[in-house]
Amino acid sequence: MAGRLHPLATFIFAGLILLFSGGPVLLSLYGSLVPDRVLLSPDQSLWTQGPSFESYRYIFTGQLPDSYNAEGANRAMISDAARQVPRALLNSSINALAAMVLNIILGAPAAFIFARYVFPGKKLSFLYLILSPLVPAVALVTPIYMLLQSLNLVGSALGIILIHTAKALPFTVLILSVFFRKIPAEIFEAAVLDHCNRFQTFWRVAVPLALPSIGATGLFAFMLSYSEFLFAMILSGSSDTRPVSVVMAALARNTDVSWSLLNTAIFIAIVPTLALVILVWRFVVEGLLSGAVKG
Amino acid sequence: MWTINRYPGFWLLPALLPVILLTVYPIGHALWTSLHEVMILFPGEPFVGLKNYERVLSGNYFSVALRNSLVFTAVSAPLAVLLGTLIALFLQRRFFGSQVVRSVVLLPWVLPGAISAVLWVWMFHPSFGFLNGLMLDLGLIESPIGWLTNPRTALGAVIVAHVWTQIPFVVVLMMAALSSINGETLEAAAIDCRSPLKRFRYVVFPEIKSMLVVLLVYNALTAFTSYDIVYAMTGGGPGTATTLLSFQIWRESFSMYDFGAGSAVAFIVVVISALLIVAITKALPSDLFAGD
Repeated sequence: MAGRLHPLATFIFAGLILLFSGGPVLLSLYGSLVPDRVLLSPDQSLWTQGPSFESYRYIFTGQLPDSYNAEGANRAMISDAARQVPRALLNSSINALAAMVLNIILGAPAAFIFARYVFPGKKLSFLYLILSPLVPAVALVTPIYMLLQSLNLVGSALGIILIHTAKALPFTVLILSVFFRKIPAEIFEAAVLDHCNRFQTFWRVAVPLALPSIGATGLFAFMLSYSEFLFAMILSGSSDTRPVSVVMAALARNTDVSWSLLNTAIFIAIVPTLALVILVWRFVVEGLLSGAVKG
Repeated sequence: MWTINRYPGFWLLPALLPVILLTVYPIGHALWTSLHEVMILFPGEPFVGLKNYERVLSGNYFSVALRNSLVFTAVSAPLAVLLGTLIALFLQRRFFGSQVVRSVVLLPWVLPGAISAVLWVWMFHPSFGFLNGLMLDLGLIESPIGWLTNPRTALGAVIVAHVWTQIPFVVVLMMAALSSINGETLEAAAIDCRSPLKRFRYVVFPEIKSMLVVLLVYNALTAFTSYDIVYAMTGGGPGTATTLLSFQIWRESFSMYDFGAGSAVAFIVVVISALLIVAITKALPSDLFAGD
């Protein structure tokens, strides 16, 4: 973009954006490192007390923080739900990974066809695909719950994985077809001259060339599944299969739970997403931004 | 581009079928259920015509929920698009640390809604929330405000949290739109026109207008059907201050076990959303599918 900004103005804008987007996350890191009494008292802070890792220790080992072993401490502030967080992270990761793999397998062929071929019904299929995510999920919840119940998939990870896969597929196809379109047409023409059929062109030429982009698109599906809440909530059963979004919602609705513990749970759940943010930006967004997307 | 004369079902159906299953079947089912009396506790599902709709529309909660949803949508969609566009315009330029800012901006997008909700409950908390602390220190208020427990501020507070989660998507798509503007056009504009405001108005704005419309409608749609943030922050309260239409579907179906009424609300939401989807299709640029 043309135009210059004063360096100071740039600095201030950047600072404001960072504070607005990242501030709440930093606050939760702060909250996780101090016990509740420090949080609640106006003249104590992290800087005077030093960090405390008791809440982290409790979540991973189950050893109660010292302050709750004191007499008269409110035991209701310790919630078992917080201890489910590591397990829930694992569940979420497994779900998201499965959804990601399924998305690539089911979505890549369609994306390839959309990117390289003209066929009857193309526009309609494509429109249907990109408009379907706009149908409100809340309106679909009841019928899908009943459908999966009749298939005996409620309370299992498989139900969540299937729904998340279907929910992410339109995005996978859309993004992947952008990436496939960026491969120079000459390469495909050469493949045809070498007597590759359509499948060989796809499997031997397009997939290897677009492999990094396919991985990046998979990350996007991973992200959608990882953060989905509504279907995860109605379809997950016991605490063994509950994904992290559901456990966090349960923690958030519990008004008694210790703030230190809550913030610790949040921060532990955020760490994988932090890694995800960097990967998604680096591979998906930068890839999309380098041309090919029409506004 | 090569031409295929038959519909390549073998290639497309693996992707299309799950999506169709996830949309067509539930919508049809919701329509059917909304016309029948379906309660888990009572066997038999007699046809009742539009009685579910009548009951839902005349119920106490519906008009409140509809009004809340409309206010929620009307405020948060333009706000998210405006803030996102400003951030995207700013992030177009490279500066020291711009990569870091670009990544951090995405953060609210990947956080599960429930986590964002907890973060904002913590920001708005009356006794040790960041916002109250800041305003007390600056002397703007005398005593802490219970943002989420006061019926007059609760809706505003959940709107802030919702907008926060929606901004990254706007930023990404808007940056894509901005980066597709021809660089030579911009250079020519920089020579011909000294005022950056005018340059934006006459050169940049026409190029991103269709993206703005798409984002606005898309955000209206997500706001109109958003669920998790509000559920985790307030549970629809205090009273009915933050009860949204999407919440109403949930309440009728899963806490009253009246699936007929829940589906009626759901179908009303689908119809309103369908109108928005028609709007988005009209606004989509026609060359989106042309490719190269």
